[in-house]
Amino acid sequence: MKGANNYTTNRRNVLRYTAGASTIGLASLAGCIGDADDDEGNGNGNGNGNGNGNGNGVDADELTITLSQFPDTIDPLDHITGDYFDIYDHIYEPLFDFVPGEGIFPRVAEDWEPQDNGTTEVYLREGVSFHNGDTLTAEDVAWTINRTVDPDIGVQSPIGTFGLGSITGADAVDDTTVAINYNASAGLAEFEFGNYARAMNRQWAIDNYDAENEAISGADPEDFNGTGPYQVVDFVSGEEIVVEAFDDYWGDEPPFETVTFNASGESSSRVAALETGEADVTMNILPEDVNTVQEAEGVDIRNITSFRTIFCPMKNTVAPFDSQDFRQAMNYAVDNDAIVNEILSGFGEPTSQPVAPGINGYNPDLEPYEQDIGRAESLVEDSGYGGAEITLTAPQGRYLNDAAIGERVADMIDQLDNVSCEVDIVDFPVVSDANQAGVDPDEFDIPFYMIGWGTITGDTDYGVQGFFTIPDNPARTFDDEELSDAILETQQIDDVEERTAALQDVNAMAREKAPFVFLHTQESIYGAESSLEWEPREDETIYVWEMSR
Amino acid sequence: MAMRQFLVRRLLQGILVIWGVVTVLFGLRAVSPGDPATLMLGEGANRELVERVREEEGLNEPIYVQYLDYVGGLLQGDLGYSWQSNRDVTAMVIERIPATIELTIAATIVAIVIAIPLGVVSATRRNEPSDYGATLFSLLGISTPNFWLGLMLILVMSVWFGIPYPTMSTATVPVGAVRIPYPSYIGYDFYGFPTGRRGVGFPDAMRALVFDQSASELGAWLRYITLPALTLGTYFTALITRLTRSGMIDELGKPYVTATKAKGLPNPLIRYKHVLRNTMIPIITVLGLQMGTLMGGAVITETVFNWPGLGLRLVDALRIRDWPLMQGIIIFIALAFIVINIVVDALYTKLNPQVSAE
Repeated sequence: MKGANNYTTNRRNVLRYTAGASTIGLASLAGCIGDADDDEGNGNGNGNGNGNGNGNGVDADELTITLSQFPDTIDPLDHITGDYFDIYDHIYEPLFDFVPGEGIFPRVAEDWEPQDNGTTEVYLREGVSFHNGDTLTAEDVAWTINRTVDPDIGVQSPIGTFGLGSITGADAVDDTTVAINYNASAGLAEFEFGNYARAMNRQWAIDNYDAENEAISGADPEDFNGTGPYQVVDFVSGEEIVVEAFDDYWGDEPPFETVTFNASGESSSRVAALETGEADVTMNILPEDVNTVQEAEGVDIRNITSFRTIFCPMKNTVAPFDSQDFRQAMNYAVDNDAIVNEILSGFGEPTSQPVAPGINGYNPDLEPYEQDIGRAESLVEDSGYGGAEITLTAPQGRYLNDAAIGERVADMIDQLDNVSCEVDIVDFPVVSDANQAGVDPDEFDIPFYMIGWGTITGDTDYGVQGFFTIPDNPARTFDDEELSDAILETQQIDDVEERTAALQDVNAMAREKAPFVFLHTQESIYGAESSLEWEPREDETIYVWEMSR
Repeated sequence: MAMRQFLVRRLLQGILVIWGVVTVLFGLRAVSPGDPATLMLGEGANRELVERVREEEGLNEPIYVQYLDYVGGLLQGDLGYSWQSNRDVTAMVIERIPATIELTIAATIVAIVIAIPLGVVSATRRNEPSDYGATLFSLLGISTPNFWLGLMLILVMSVWFGIPYPTMSTATVPVGAVRIPYPSYIGYDFYGFPTGRRGVGFPDAMRALVFDQSASELGAWLRYITLPALTLGTYFTALITRLTRSGMIDELGKPYVTATKAKGLPNPLIRYKHVLRNTMIPIITVLGLQMGTLMGGAVITETVFNWPGLGLRLVDALRIRDWPLMQGIIIFIALAFIVINIVVDALYTKLNPQVSAE
């Protein structure tokens, strides 16, 4: 009986609470709906009012940047993702200012001097402090570089394998001089350390985080300690990071006192945050969302052609791609203007070579292949591969409207009378694997695929050597001694201008040999609050110190 | 069957299911495209380093050895390390659980609060406009995709309908913002809903309420959770409305209702005290079961609203093919589902002694 009584009591209580909650809930709901109806006219007006809100409600000292991905790690060397750099570069500032298309300039490093022995000495500014009050030393910088490039120390950093590919290590010469060692030309090394050299506080990192053995982790503002213009004051893992201007910063006072970084994976959500004034800057807006931003008041679109090119490699160790005529024919078959205008709403630029404008070694004299069906068909006949049946493998969801572009490219090739082309839309790792599989026909199944490449160091070498050089490069996509030798030669040229000219020749040679179907450089599309003075950069980097109101 | 035996049996079944989930996930990982070492280090990574990582991570071992290693780790509570961030997957899962639980409970409350009265009205006024209205609402609720509803709610309630200011207490009131009436004793003005994110967690909101006597954190929490909870709760609302309606209709046709009517009891008393009470048992069961589904199904809602729960982390992991993290999250969701099922089954037998543990 006791149990039964309890049961009745419990159930009665449940019902009572449920009924009570239901009543309150319905009343609230009714209230909300009523309010919504009552205010409908105002609500529409409020749509316009957003502009007012953005304009008048803006706090000149605060800025919110909504990225597309929030960092899953707090170790600044543990990733090579643009969104991560966009946050951490403000805390762990780069040693140099990299200006796309121009080169590197002094920052924390005041000057640098190549030595004769595969070493460049970098002279650091004096009086640079970490956020915890420690002074920056050459030892800190050397250790940070070694931790980045040496797989035995710290984390297996992709920055080391990508960004600092030719750097072999670093030593502290004295308190403010760091010797950076490399196995290529000084010019190439300069592009690499100019982009990827940062400084962590060695003692702090080792003592508190065992940073020589693992990645730095933590969930508190104190788990960050750089020399940058901003220090972390609030950090909610996976959600938000708030930074404030660092009082003891060696350089100019940054333009905003407080900056909040958060992220949203959905383009439409980022646009909504921009429209409501929750975000002042947001990135990776899809072409289909551009109109929404353009029509909203108080915000606008800022776009720039990025360093990322989209193209279709053709592995020349198998037919029909072993014929240069056939590869060129594929380029003549495709109408890149149509793809850019119709699928990317104009947000892109047809390319003529492996790298984008603004990259050191980009050859401005080269024209993109223009669509010429007659010439394409004739080249196919010349190649002896008339009637060829090929398949283009394209990824979905990795690049701007990638699957649609892949389908269109295949369709354009299929329009040729003497070539039949199908498309296979796959997950990105399939394409990535195809790209890594090398040129031995026994090792790969996919000879023709679509992929993108961001030349993140700002130098042509990074855009070509992985694809075209032969020795010690089992992951190349093209087997051509002449092109390979030309690239290797550029790696040893010390004279900066001579090297740039040689890289331009490499790009011209690549256009002629057509190892890719060259498609376009991808546009970076940002949304920004209108009063914000800021122009986006080709290298997809967002620096608050380049903004103002 | 004694309750203890019943529980032991269900636990064993649960373990079997989890093992199945782990095995299927591992199989999928094995056949899925993408070399793990390359995925860890990125496209174009140094081949030497890729090989070294393959060696260190045991990726060169035969697949059965990798499987045994993984299962062995799981048995010790080790879900492995995220390929993307090198962080402990267990920690990455645990830190996202509170947000998902908050959202799940809030969505359930939304569902209960709307669905039960709607179901009762619908059942007691059959074939009247209010019944058609409730049925239409259910139909719309079930057929509306969460991602669309979420985006529409953001568009209407956040973009068109007010400018949200996360720090309401100190922020200047934006020009043109519509103040939504809100009880003044909360001491918090309301200017529309944020487009997403969590803002403040429920425990922090309660701490502020209890220790600082400040309701503003609670207000902020409500502002952040309302739209995601409505989005996630709508499908559930539709389901419970239909369940309440059919349950009520069944009960209303039973002899005891006629008897109570004959006794001269007023209609509201009959409906809410007697009929609804008897309808509640299946509803409570479904509520429990659906909470498990909600935890798994919050993926889309969390993505649209950037709600930092397990669903969002799962989508992030999927985007970058971070298998250890994906596996960890899915295993946790499966585990939660199984535990909730067992608890509901146990409660069900407890609540209704007519149902045996068989």
